Amino acid sequence: MTVDVSQYIDADRGLIRGEIFHSREIYERELEQVFARSWLFLAHDSMIPRPGDFIQNYMGEDPVVVARQRDGSVKAFLNQCRHRGMRICRADRGNARNFMCSFHGWTYDIGGNLIHVPHEEETYDPEVFDKKDWGPAQVPRIAVYKGFIFGNWDPEAPSFEEYLGDMAWYVDAYIDRYEGGLEAIALHKWVIPSNWKFNAEQPASDMYHAEVSHASAVQVLKRPGADNGAQRYATGRGHQFSSPYGHGAGWFDTTESSSRNPVIAAWENETQPEVAKRLGEVRAAAVRGHANIFPTFMLLNNGSLRVTHPRGPAEMEVWAWTFVPVAAPPEVKEQYRVEVLRTFSPGGMFEQDDAENWLEEQRILRGHMARKNPLLYAMQLGRARRDADGFPGTTVPHCYADEGARGMYRHYLDLMSGAPWPELVERKRRRERAVPR
Amino acid sequence: MPLVTERRAGTGVPVEVQRDIEQFLFDEADLLDGWEFREWLDLLAPDIRYWAPTRENRLYRERRKEMAKPGESAYFDEGHAELVQRVDRLYTHMAWAEEPPSRSRHLITNIRVGATERADEFDVESSFYVYRTRGERDVDHVVGKRYDLVRRAATRYGFQVARRMIVFDMATLLVKNLSLFY
Repeated sequence: MTVDVSQYIDADRGLIRGEIFHSREIYERELEQVFARSWLFLAHDSMIPRPGDFIQNYMGEDPVVVARQRDGSVKAFLNQCRHRGMRICRADRGNARNFMCSFHGWTYDIGGNLIHVPHEEETYDPEVFDKKDWGPAQVPRIAVYKGFIFGNWDPEAPSFEEYLGDMAWYVDAYIDRYEGGLEAIALHKWVIPSNWKFNAEQPASDMYHAEVSHASAVQVLKRPGADNGAQRYATGRGHQFSSPYGHGAGWFDTTESSSRNPVIAAWENETQPEVAKRLGEVRAAAVRGHANIFPTFMLLNNGSLRVTHPRGPAEMEVWAWTFVPVAAPPEVKEQYRVEVLRTFSPGGMFEQDDAENWLEEQRILRGHMARKNPLLYAMQLGRARRDADGFPGTTVPHCYADEGARGMYRHYLDLMSGAPWPELVERKRRRERAVPR
Repeated sequence: MPLVTERRAGTGVPVEVQRDIEQFLFDEADLLDGWEFREWLDLLAPDIRYWAPTRENRLYRERRKEMAKPGESAYFDEGHAELVQRVDRLYTHMAWAEEPPSRSRHLITNIRVGATERADEFDVESSFYVYRTRGERDVDHVVGKRYDLVRRAATRYGFQVARRMIVFDMATLLVKNLSLFY
């Protein structure tokens, strides 16, 4: 009996019941309907620059090897030997010409082709066994967007461009500010005992929590001669974007760098005109804050970009990279590195406090009554506009809002209905056409 | 990671020095477990470098990349001013990861003290097991090793830590945050 999550989610009114964060049955359905057919972050060009370079990543709970091929393309394949299912590659990353499964010695090249089976002649009848049929499952769809490599298991999924839609305009404010793009210079991985969706709805839609959850960090992290963010938090002046494909973004209406680090702020202010030539004044000065590419790729305005892996209904695993502009001077890159480390790594003065909220949310949802009452996602309800103030797509004119979350859960409902992608695309188009301009 | 076989030979110290530095490390553990963070800052030299690199799983032939190098991924990479900031944050009493505070127990063991070229500085290695509970049911364990440069100081505790490298015995961090000091 397929679980029907629509009974738990009223996206239009912003009322959501916590069963969706607790239920094992819903989680298993998510692995199929969300993670097996959404565009998931695999790697960045800077992580696998040379042929043979690989990283291990996950698509949901499925481990994948993402490898640079000799012709410069990227392939991703399931990190599961087709023989008996042992993990083929057990290193987090590196450079290799081939991978040998340490169970029976089946050996694969970096494209995931099975190239050697020990004792093949004595064991497998060529009538029934051909090595070329027994390579690991290949990720059929790979898209590279400005250096960011995404993959999708579903051949029927829309292209990454269509999937991003208007979100691309907002994502570019994070990743396309400078000639030469970004490079990843640090990585943190850690485990948080709560549902993956808490770290999807938050970067999509929750600036509101920062003033209180992160009060301690806001208070001590002052930049000499500049505001520490308290003023921004107090007014909430900003915007939030919501996508029909579940992405969200929010920001304060800043006019210059909001970094608390004086070296970073000085460099960002100095280079703001060149960013403006590339992206326009608005995206040079504002639009960066928090963002999420559905389901689980989060972007922050300090260079922290991360993917969240689901690990059961009550656990997530965060992989957070620190990205810096390639064109930045070494001393500026170093400041980006330590700034993220001190604020948004597992010991980070902001990051530490988020886990407290999510852990308690998760634990309390073991309760029966706790799952009966809907949780409230109603901020800025009724205030959405289309293509207003120069912002493409649906936005609300305040950054304390739940429009991003409502859009995310509306899209989540679409996926969890099980309808195939072409039908979902059509459903979304009809919904968009029905919105009064 | 420094190997035992790389440890310089003939750097043994008198028993009293070994004992005094052990007591110093136990004092530090008690201060951390007792939420006496301002006192703890006095155990750190003004030029302290407090660094904890990340670790990952690598192929055998790339095993030297298992641990991040200085300037690469790290959980801590702090000077004295940054550690003061972290302590200031705790004392806002709005650092919800530590409000209410964790209960922690720093077990410090396997303490090795070696002399350096300077009479007032010592290479000190110690292993740690930090057991922590929070709230009703939250439990975690962080185990690892510290490689310190410890310097004699005219303070109540007799020494200061001038340099600390913390090695956590985890690749993916298996705890929800690092809200304590190690």
